[in-house]
Amino acid sequence: MNALIISAILGVIMMFSGILLKQKSGVRGIAIGGLVLVLLSNVLEMNGTHFFNVNLHGMMEFDHFSLLFVSVIIGAMLFYFILSARDMEKVGGYYAEYFALLFFILCGIVLVTSFKSLLILFLGIEIISIPLYILTGSDKRNLKSNEASLKYLLTGSFSTGLMLMGIALIYGATGTFDVAKMKLGLSEQPELLAIAGMLLLLFSMSFKVSAAPFHFWTPDVYDGAPTVFTAFMATIVKAAVFIGFIRLFGDTFGGMAPKWQFWVAVLAAATLFIGNITAVFQQSVKRMLAYSSIAQAGFMLLALFAMNQDAREGILLYSVAYSLATIGIFAVLGRMNDYTFEGFNGLARRQPLVAAVLTICLLSLAGIPLTAGFLAKFYMLKAAMAAGTQFWLVIFAVLMAAVSVYYYFRVIQAMYFKEGEANVTVSAGFKTALVVLAALIIVLGVAPELILYWLYF
Amino acid sequence: MNITQILFWLLSVTALFGAMMVVTSRNPVYSVLWLILTFFSISGHYILLNAQFLAIVNIIVYAGAIMVLFLFVIMLMNLNKNAEPTRGRWIKFAGAISGGCLLLVLVAALRSTEVSSKSVQVGVGEIGLIKNLGRELFTNYVVPFEISSILFLSAMIGAVVIGKKD
Repeated sequence: MNALIISAILGVIMMFSGILLKQKSGVRGIAIGGLVLVLLSNVLEMNGTHFFNVNLHGMMEFDHFSLLFVSVIIGAMLFYFILSARDMEKVGGYYAEYFALLFFILCGIVLVTSFKSLLILFLGIEIISIPLYILTGSDKRNLKSNEASLKYLLTGSFSTGLMLMGIALIYGATGTFDVAKMKLGLSEQPELLAIAGMLLLLFSMSFKVSAAPFHFWTPDVYDGAPTVFTAFMATIVKAAVFIGFIRLFGDTFGGMAPKWQFWVAVLAAATLFIGNITAVFQQSVKRMLAYSSIAQAGFMLLALFAMNQDAREGILLYSVAYSLATIGIFAVLGRMNDYTFEGFNGLARRQPLVAAVLTICLLSLAGIPLTAGFLAKFYMLKAAMAAGTQFWLVIFAVLMAAVSVYYYFRVIQAMYFKEGEANVTVSAGFKTALVVLAALIIVLGVAPELILYWLYF
Repeated sequence: MNITQILFWLLSVTALFGAMMVVTSRNPVYSVLWLILTFFSISGHYILLNAQFLAIVNIIVYAGAIMVLFLFVIMLMNLNKNAEPTRGRWIKFAGAISGGCLLLVLVAALRSTEVSSKSVQVGVGEIGLIKNLGRELFTNYVVPFEISSILFLSAMIGAVVIGKKD
């Protein structure tokens, strides 16, 4: 609750800071300071300090898992602000408003991770989506950005419609929005109305996390949106919606697991296949990262499939590993002139440190040992094994992870083994943040307990 | 068959016919007009369920504000010609099959549902009256009600960011 209210207030403060402050560095300072405040308040809430006592009528539950996840997300967002906030200036003239929208998205993230009522889930998803439509189209002079925004709005509204229909059907079947009171899957006769609602919710949530075959919007939107906002969409938002997805299917539809588990496995396999195979053929690194985010969503779907304790640990670690690595890559990519693979040629010669950090991020995404990405993938596979059925999915996932090595290493190869003129201008602060990011990826790859410990604290 | 039942069937036929015409009309302006008819007949259903507030909001907001917006957009974009883009046969085929599948699932789900045991009290129910609705909204549902203000605020910021001249 602390994080929700404080970030909503901060959103309003950011709106006014745009009028009151002339310097952009001031706005940025308020945003970063405010985010630290949100992080602190959330950590305090984990220790039992509640600033606000609101009667929630059982609509939200701030349990340990959701609070820890929100802390992790805010941490990733802090990295994102430090690394990429400067690049937002280049997008358009509404610097403070962009921050306001990002803080509102953070509110949506808190709602989605801690909902106990489908009403709150719907509100959370919408509070995340609507600012994203705007941020996608924020580069108003760029035709590609406009197109991406319109496409995202239309397909996103359609999937929201499906979601609303699903919630309505479930309300019709159970007579309540409250997850705790639904008790689906307990009766003997099949609850067909609830199953139809569940299917619609499965489709719409798959759309929101861009799982195949609902992924068609992803490459165009990620490619067309300004790179800074693509970084935000592809990492923080995606991880948060995944937690909502898992909570929805674990809590609400947990009793009906035999009915959907197989189809989630098929969904995961299709997502892994399409994401990885299509990423191989991309020429632009930004587009490759869009497909890679689809492929990584396939791995995260394994947690939804398994839905056990390993999966809860795994999804947490996966969110951190994936978000940190992708934020790092996008932060550098946003400063490059040429987004193709050739654009990275010879980067290691001019910027050895940046190239090294990029390499660590890419290795983590590919799942090479000693990085956080390896352990995250390992936990996911372990969870899927522990689920006891569909072993083919585990083998398939390993094969697809091997495919992913190809396109991640193409960037590394371009940086180190090809001659070229690639260069980026980076400040000392940016470099420090990058080094901290890379260090965190390696530390979490060696000692994941640092995060997972808090789950049982 | 008493008057309520006659009204119910009349409104249902109008709503379904209107909805069919929305989809099949070639001219987008006609589609919008048919949609308004559909909304009016759905409002009639709300009144039959004794939900007067919902009925009037449905007319004011949907049939009034949103449909006028639709008409403006269609007229501004000059879509009132029969400028429907032609799509490939396979797309139409796939669309028909997947839409049909959804229809099948929904019909199967609704057919086997026992509505009679759980139905809202028709005619005598006071749940849709504005007094009860307001009390619910500001007691049990006050948290989502307040949270939706964040949604509207972000939409307003978005309108400014997208719409204002640089």
